[in-house]
Amino acid sequence: MTDETDFDVIVIGAGMAGAATAFQLLKEGMEGDRILVVERGDPVGAKNMSGGILWGRELDDFEEYLGNWEMECNGIERYINHKKIGFLSSEDAVFVEGKFASWDGIGGTEEPSQRAAWSVLRAKTDAWLAEKMEEAGIFVMAGIKIDQLHIRTRDGKGDDAEISDLDHTSYTARDLTDPAPDSGEGGAQKWKVDNLPKDVVEAIRNGIISGIVQDGEVMTSKVVVIAEGSNSVLTRGYHFDSMLHAQSKDDMLLGVKEVIHLGKERIDERFNCFAGDDSRPPSGMAMELALSLYRDMAEQAWEDYPDTAGQMPRCGGFFYTNLDTVSCGIIVQLKSLPQGLHTYDLYQAFKEQPAIAALIDGGEVLEYSGHLCPEFGLHRMPHRFARDGAIVVGDAAGLVFANGMMIQGMNNALHSGKLAGKAIAKCIGDNDVSETALNATYTKSLKASYIFRDLKRFEPATKFLNDDANFTWVPELIGKTANRVFREIGEEKITAEKVFFGTRKDLRKKSRAYKKGMGWLNLIRIGMLGRKL
Amino acid sequence: MSDKKQKLGLFTYDIKNGLGLIGYNIDDHEHAHIIVDVDKCDDCSHMMCVWGCPAQCYNFRDQGLEKMKFQYEDCVECGTCFIMCDQGAVSWNHPRGGFGITYNQG
Repeated sequence: MTDETDFDVIVIGAGMAGAATAFQLLKEGMEGDRILVVERGDPVGAKNMSGGILWGRELDDFEEYLGNWEMECNGIERYINHKKIGFLSSEDAVFVEGKFASWDGIGGTEEPSQRAAWSVLRAKTDAWLAEKMEEAGIFVMAGIKIDQLHIRTRDGKGDDAEISDLDHTSYTARDLTDPAPDSGEGGAQKWKVDNLPKDVVEAIRNGIISGIVQDGEVMTSKVVVIAEGSNSVLTRGYHFDSMLHAQSKDDMLLGVKEVIHLGKERIDERFNCFAGDDSRPPSGMAMELALSLYRDMAEQAWEDYPDTAGQMPRCGGFFYTNLDTVSCGIIVQLKSLPQGLHTYDLYQAFKEQPAIAALIDGGEVLEYSGHLCPEFGLHRMPHRFARDGAIVVGDAAGLVFANGMMIQGMNNALHSGKLAGKAIAKCIGDNDVSETALNATYTKSLKASYIFRDLKRFEPATKFLNDDANFTWVPELIGKTANRVFREIGEEKITAEKVFFGTRKDLRKKSRAYKKGMGWLNLIRIGMLGRKL
Repeated sequence: MSDKKQKLGLFTYDIKNGLGLIGYNIDDHEHAHIIVDVDKCDDCSHMMCVWGCPAQCYNFRDQGLEKMKFQYEDCVECGTCFIMCDQGAVSWNHPRGGFGITYNQG
């Protein structure tokens, strides 16, 4: 490619992944005015939502642009030194709780002393990152949605090949992801794009991506980075992923969250937080929970809509402290959602669980939000990460890790952005941004990185986390056992073991699913799966 | 310990109130970002969009309606309906730049 392009790199999406890509490109020596970051939210951050914990110190690598980000960024709310996981049934709540001195990052501990997790509010964080990008000289355009990518096609082979532009008016953005009128149901679905002329389809799927189209205007670049987030229209539209896979419910979560204002003092007091000083932000708590709250709601739904009778919604709860607010929400595995249950009503059950209700008592809800999350990345990843002139990073590439103890996506987004930045700088330097070159750099380094290694290692854990047991009888069994072991009601005491078996016996009478779930074979199976967490 | 069934309760979130807390810059109908072919919904047996949508944009038999009633204005742009619909009724794209939901917290 000898002709000059408008930019070297255009990044679509100013979230964590997009920002990391842009900063890394700067670090690799690219001029800021050769990088364009476009973002559909105006202001930047307006569309962005996450559960709320940023794990890992990935941002440290950009210290030259971000300074002391931990103290200066107003969206980075509290550092986490207090981590809880728990089992919630309708009346019992059992927590495993850790407070870790080494997480304070002030030294004097045997374990490496480092603050490595922060509660964040993305609207503020991403706006701040965008500000820093602009200060560093990167072009950031907010309020710009990209409908189409600019595509060029190659006719012939080698140096003699004739390169021509694909006329972007020959199809519309909606053609790419819309169901065709003659589409069938379920697996027989077809998309409008399938009915376009063959050469156009071929260009869309395998042509050279060389820029963006916005409002009919073309802006060219050597590489386009798709950092659109978990609901990426461009990833599915431009065939990084097949439409059927992009639309699959498997391992796709919906997060529903409220940000609730409690005031800083009240949070400091209620959660025993460090109040913060000049060198350290305030501390906070992060909590994730397995929920079994829905037996009655589900039974009612099964009665009204018998088609999905027996299907129990699998939900996890999360609760994070921000500076003067808390993030309180649930994630719903979409595949498990039965008919008759609204996702927001499932959230209400979590909010009203006595242990959670006490934590948000007296709070004022500031914001309600919903967002998709591609859990267990390996299954949610697009089929390719790169094609000629374009790559996909972050949530758009499905790089989210979950093992039940923690769920992380933002650090993976940052890390993949860095790898992308390095790879693109090298490929542009070598004057080869073909799919092969990008795969040999970006995809290869991604697959060798901790992101992929974690996802692979913890793949067995996904089976455990997808098991109905964790969302039905496990929280109840743990809750009831603990309840009876700790309690004194003027009766003769029995050993924990006996309580456990007694509780198991009682619970097994409740329903057939419980009876089957708590059979010995299944208990052993769950135990074996759980060991891989 | 009793054989009586323990009551866990049914819960209802005040979704109208929740959505009222979000800032929107609503685009005109001509530029609606989601277009639903509601005739296709007639034969749908599961209405998973209704159950999945966290913003109650889809109202149908659950509300006693005979015809699917869709409104894009309250959409939080999550994309759940696109994933839930297997009837080919949902055409999904992001709103035009600057339009749609505006989170202040995120």
